[in-house]
Amino acid sequence: MAGLEHLLAALTPINLAFALFGVVAGTVIGAIPGLTATMSVAVLVPLTFAMPTSSALILMGAIYTGAIYGGAYSAILLNTPGTPSAIATTFDGYPLAKKGDGDYAITIACLASVIGGLVGALALMTLAPPLSQVALAFGSVEYFWLAIFGLSLIAALSEGSLLKGVAGGALGLLLSCIGVAEVAGDVRLTFGLQTLLSGIQIVAALIGLYSIPVLIDLVAQPGHHLQVDSGSRGFRLGEAVRYLWGDKINTIRSAVIGTVVGILPGAGGSIASLVSYSEARRTAKPGQAYGKGEPGGIIASESANNATVGGGFIPTLVLGIPGTPPDAVILGALLVQGVRTGPSLFTNQGEIVYTFIWGLILATILMLPTGLFIGRYAYRTIITLPKALLVPAIAFMTIIGSYAIRNNISDVIIMIVLGGLGWIIGRFGFTASPIVLGLILGPIAESGFVQAWTIGTATDDRFGMFFGRPISIAIIVFTLFTLLSPLVLARLQKIKEQAHAD
Amino acid sequence: MPTEPRSDTGGAVVSAILIGVACLVIWDSMSYMDKDSAVFPRTFAGVLIVASAAYIVKWLLGRGEAGPGADTGSLPRRVLLVGIMLGGTMAMPWIGFIGAALPVFAALTLVAMYDPWTRFRVLVYPLIGIAIVLGFFYLFREVLQVPLPTGDLFDS
Amino acid sequence: MKTTRRSLVLTGAALAFVAGIGLTAQPAPAQAEYPEKPISYIIPFGPGGESDITARLQQPFFKEKFGQDLVISYKPGGGGAVGWATLNTLKGDGYTMMGVNLPHIVLQPQQKDVGYKTDDITMLYWFHYTPDAIVVTDDSPFKTLQDLIKHAKENPGKVIFSGSGKGTAPHLAQVRFDKLAGVKTTYVPFKGTGASVAALMGKQVSAAMAFTTVAANYEKTRLLAVAMEKRHPRFPDVPTFKELGMDIVSGAYRGIAVPKSTPEPVRQKLTAMIKAVNEDPAFRKKMEEGGFAVVDYAHGKSADDFLSSFAKSVTASAKEAGLLK
Repeated sequence: MAGLEHLLAALTPINLAFALFGVVAGTVIGAIPGLTATMSVAVLVPLTFAMPTSSALILMGAIYTGAIYGGAYSAILLNTPGTPSAIATTFDGYPLAKKGDGDYAITIACLASVIGGLVGALALMTLAPPLSQVALAFGSVEYFWLAIFGLSLIAALSEGSLLKGVAGGALGLLLSCIGVAEVAGDVRLTFGLQTLLSGIQIVAALIGLYSIPVLIDLVAQPGHHLQVDSGSRGFRLGEAVRYLWGDKINTIRSAVIGTVVGILPGAGGSIASLVSYSEARRTAKPGQAYGKGEPGGIIASESANNATVGGGFIPTLVLGIPGTPPDAVILGALLVQGVRTGPSLFTNQGEIVYTFIWGLILATILMLPTGLFIGRYAYRTIITLPKALLVPAIAFMTIIGSYAIRNNISDVIIMIVLGGLGWIIGRFGFTASPIVLGLILGPIAESGFVQAWTIGTATDDRFGMFFGRPISIAIIVFTLFTLLSPLVLARLQKIKEQAHAD
Repeated sequence: MPTEPRSDTGGAVVSAILIGVACLVIWDSMSYMDKDSAVFPRTFAGVLIVASAAYIVKWLLGRGEAGPGADTGSLPRRVLLVGIMLGGTMAMPWIGFIGAALPVFAALTLVAMYDPWTRFRVLVYPLIGIAIVLGFFYLFREVLQVPLPTGDLFDS
Repeated sequence: MKTTRRSLVLTGAALAFVAGIGLTAQPAPAQAEYPEKPISYIIPFGPGGESDITARLQQPFFKEKFGQDLVISYKPGGGGAVGWATLNTLKGDGYTMMGVNLPHIVLQPQQKDVGYKTDDITMLYWFHYTPDAIVVTDDSPFKTLQDLIKHAKENPGKVIFSGSGKGTAPHLAQVRFDKLAGVKTTYVPFKGTGASVAALMGKQVSAAMAFTTVAANYEKTRLLAVAMEKRHPRFPDVPTFKELGMDIVSGAYRGIAVPKSTPEPVRQKLTAMIKAVNEDPAFRKKMEEGGFAVVDYAHGKSADDFLSSFAKSVTASAKEAGLLK
């Protein structure tokens, strides 16, 4: 193991305290919708100037990983991703909670997050320099195809009505065009409204589209939000561990996907959890009901998104290119401290890096007990709080949360309006997830496309650009696989049945 | 459950509206200076039109999907929820964050209240509400250093 | 019912505890003179960008000299436009200031309706700029700028520059470069300097039209030329465009502004404070090491003259580039 002496450095009381504090604070902050991991790290930056670099990194890394995990709470209990990386957690987490298994869901999320985080951190420790090359191998074209792959998830998510799902996705993609165009400098689709100049902020849209409909429905009927079967059932830890062991391929695969996506600059927890969920769903064993409360869905999402923490540090530390948005903030803090990132960071200042990585591993491990306890408390609070207090509390949190993203009242108004509209069209079968997917993946798809098109035109090789590169081909194949395999399998099943009938 | 699939008129209406939205997008895209800006919006406006039109055709052929179930739950409360949130938010620049949040919280408590008002509840609920609002206010303003709006009305 | 009551009480207690912490976290009682409390420094971009990093570098010097914190907050959107549009709605009490960038505040209002006009901005100080520079990887076949120009002449359109955004400083620089060098290159816009450098390092493009700060912060990159009057102290071996016969002196300038309602004496005081930070030798050294080029255009004639001459030249460039009508 690299640098065992650094493990001891990470175990100093100060660093342990930072790790513990960071994980707890991060979890709480991440659970509040509207407060993202990026924001929570940004708040801490001034504090880190007075600290030694490795301690600063441990604190920021701990908050980062705690926040990514914390997002699962509101995803499971309130159907609102606390951070964008928890979107896919809502797909199966909320149905599980509605069935009365919210505590189980939270425990599964905690275990999956810890495992994912450890895999990411171990990759960072052992394979950082070679893995950073992956970051560079991904060009504009690959991002474009990756976005298309993400969009293909719409097909899976819009069970019952493919057309409505596609329409929703297209709507989301159009919504993502509102505001100043990254690729071209034009102002699009604002229709003169100053409010829309900054576009539709993804987190505000998430909160609006996912939690406002829940609130609207909560208010309309008496009766508790989540049914509770019996009294205290402990953490259901044994149950959760058994399930995870049975689903270990999913867990490890999701962690690997998360690590790789984290390495890709600009792609963070949200993309990781969506891609991983898509894969888990595609390879689901018969009898697993993804989308209706299958714990495997939570595992896929949470394992992947926590793996992006470790994965994201790889290009950040090795190349100086942030792997995920919080990494950009951390990089800024490092710069102010005078730390130069780059391959030589690992060799010349190895003690900083390795102490930090051990600290991150410790923080991730600490997340297990703290996560379970905080999760327990969150669960009990949501369960027992009477609706007359729960509804205003959540409504209030969504308002303050969506304001805090960009310190802009417009975001709150957009959040509420989108939420109301989302509820209306949701009643007619147009669900929120395809729209959100379009909104998130739109910018990536568009910039990837325009950049690849421009480069391809300049090199007179548009076709080769889009279809000739090995990684692109792999992604295209995967996408086709994901889209077609359910159909092919269903067809084969029918043929088999007919053969039997004869 | 109804015995025959209900005609999903609502879905068809929404599809028609979406086609209108897509046309708006195409109209807007004609005013762009850089032709690169228009590619994406036009492509996906096109996709939106095709998908929505296909659904309308499906509905016309009588193969629309099942419409929404009968509306359970009180519509007035739903409308009040959204209205109160929106009104409170828009009033914030004038009456400040706390000035808007406390009334919004109180109003929403009333809207969401289904149980009778016992003496215990009349006392404890407002206290908890105030604790929640103030607690989060300080968390955001002091710890997270988010500049929450102070009302123009209360400024010197 | 019992559990409900207990949970309620616990929740209430927890939140009251937080509120208590909040109350005790109020700033210390005021000293008599300005600044009496922390000053709010709003960055109209997201965290982690160059404006943010600059502000963070200024923070400790400010604290040391004047005893108060600079509280950095973000108001991103529209490439800075959202922040600048709201500048004059903020309190002009001397405790609120905002970062400003060129060429943004000159070009944006001319390109579209962004909610503010260049004259609306009350400038206090322009403190540095990041000079435009052509960046290549260490192992690039272009060893000097002449190599690149030669290659571009022989292969029109095939030399590809990555840059941050369209209609921005890098884009303008590329257009001007094409004109003055007599070549035709292709420009590919990326979202931010980081992404454009990543594309360079991934060998997607031939070179990046970026800034001197890039070479300072990223290993394995080097500069072919810088857009300055004289060579940059940190890169004494890199020629300026002027030396090579092209009059390109440009970059992204950063400064600080206050709401219009701030009274003139307060403006002067704040300007003096920023000036003190900017003139601190240790601060200047940090700037230089980071690849920045320090400037000093203070509130009043100096800043006004600079802005109007800059606006004139940049508007002319933009019109030539077809970015403005």
